[in-house]
Amino acid sequence: MYEPVNLPYISKIRYNQSMKKQMTILAIESSCDETAAAVLVAPCSMIHDPGHSFSILSNCVSSQVQIHAKYGGVIPEVAARLHIEKILPMIQLALKQAKKKMSEIDYIAVTGGPGLMSSLMIGTETAKTLALVLNKPLIRINHIEGHLLSITEKLEFPAVGLVVSGGHTQIILVKDYLKYKLIGETRDDAAGEAFDKVAKILGLGYPGGPAIAIAAEKAESGQSLAGVDIKLPRPMLDKAGFEMSFSGLKTSVLYKWNELVKRLAPKDLDKAKNLMAYEFQKAVVEVLVGKTVLAASEFKAKTIVLGGGVSANKFLRSEMLRVVAERLPNVKVLMPEIKMAGDNAAMIAQAAYFHVLKKDFFSPVKLKPDPGWELVH
Amino acid sequence: MNVITKSEQETIKFGEKFGKTLKGGEVVLLIGDLGAGKTTFVKGVAKGLGITRVVNSPTFVLMKIYEIRNKEYRIKKLVHIDTYRGLEIGDLENIGAVEYFKRQDCVSFVEWGESLEEYLKKEKITFQKIVIRNINENEREFSF
Repeated sequence: MYEPVNLPYISKIRYNQSMKKQMTILAIESSCDETAAAVLVAPCSMIHDPGHSFSILSNCVSSQVQIHAKYGGVIPEVAARLHIEKILPMIQLALKQAKKKMSEIDYIAVTGGPGLMSSLMIGTETAKTLALVLNKPLIRINHIEGHLLSITEKLEFPAVGLVVSGGHTQIILVKDYLKYKLIGETRDDAAGEAFDKVAKILGLGYPGGPAIAIAAEKAESGQSLAGVDIKLPRPMLDKAGFEMSFSGLKTSVLYKWNELVKRLAPKDLDKAKNLMAYEFQKAVVEVLVGKTVLAASEFKAKTIVLGGGVSANKFLRSEMLRVVAERLPNVKVLMPEIKMAGDNAAMIAQAAYFHVLKKDFFSPVKLKPDPGWELVH
Repeated sequence: MNVITKSEQETIKFGEKFGKTLKGGEVVLLIGDLGAGKTTFVKGVAKGLGITRVVNSPTFVLMKIYEIRNKEYRIKKLVHIDTYRGLEIGDLENIGAVEYFKRQDCVSFVEWGESLEEYLKKEKITFQKIVIRNINENEREFSF
């Protein structure tokens, strides 16, 4: 589809005049506890129809989750030290897997926020240095934008994006590539954070998302324990608008669980724990799906796109597909591959590609990470 | 002084009232269990300071900063910190949180702030403590 109006004017000239057939982007991500690097190649000639013919040559992630697990969460000082250790090996590995030399890289992209300051700094300083030394344009990417564009399919606009992770729960209206509007977010805890905290209450360990999903699978749907009420609220679901809230849900679990601990025998308590995990996961997913579908219907979205660590949750994925098929059969649901759901650099490279087309570059000398950078406000 | 709130809305109202009394430079340690309403209280404080942005949990990013745009206000920033993960003062220095404690144009609220008491005393930074006790699922008692 050729839409001259939407074309970034400068990039059109740039690439039409260029002899190069491909652009190669090296992306770096270090916003929290994953050190990641990726190489993406995109044909320069596809500017008239962006979004579905780039290829990820490598996507390397070094996760610190096992180390942080013993603290029950990410410790910034520890994360920063590990990033420093891993960042150059990850870049080297990404280049090796992509069979590219550093000199073949055309653009350097890096996550500029949001995230932990001390973590972000390792990635940005590395990217700035590379950009300066190699004399290549530097692109600063918002982590949330990376999650929104972590799918490889082309988006049809308008699209409604649900970015859901340990630090974020946002519903974003995507009018076009790089045109975002925040339409709803959590008023309190992020969904992933609620998973972590509830897992802690139930003694299921960290990270909470997978721990709760595993416990929930053990509890069959419809199963119950005599005299045990595990029904949890569905916060904000019956209210208009797209705001969400998960803090109250956490408090409800806390009170119900404390009461169960007092009166149940150990064997029943184990069963109740799985049931509680099941009900909690169901409550969170129903709210996420309900609000996203409501937004898609109100903004006449053609696509619903998911991103972020929690989008790896199987129950969320299947419920989203089921409900959308039932209520909005013409809307396409795009979900990242599981390995693209968590933090990674390939998504940063994909987002960077659209910024390259707009020639949206950042001075390597001036770039500073912004831990609270809001993609949309 | 003790204040009892009977719902989330009342906690926000109370926070709002508290926010309106702030003069700048205050460091407030919020002490209470998971689900006590620490973030809810700060939500109210933000409202009292005229912040319209959504104030949500800082657990993940550890610190969130809200700008106060009203030029007539002496307070320019609300700093919302969470040390839920057992962060220590070194971690807070790392993320630049400690700098805000000494600024007269900022007010800082630290959730799970009990671990900072000793440090603040040593550094001679004045602070106040608010202890939030869960009475039942909805009622909370604020002592300060």
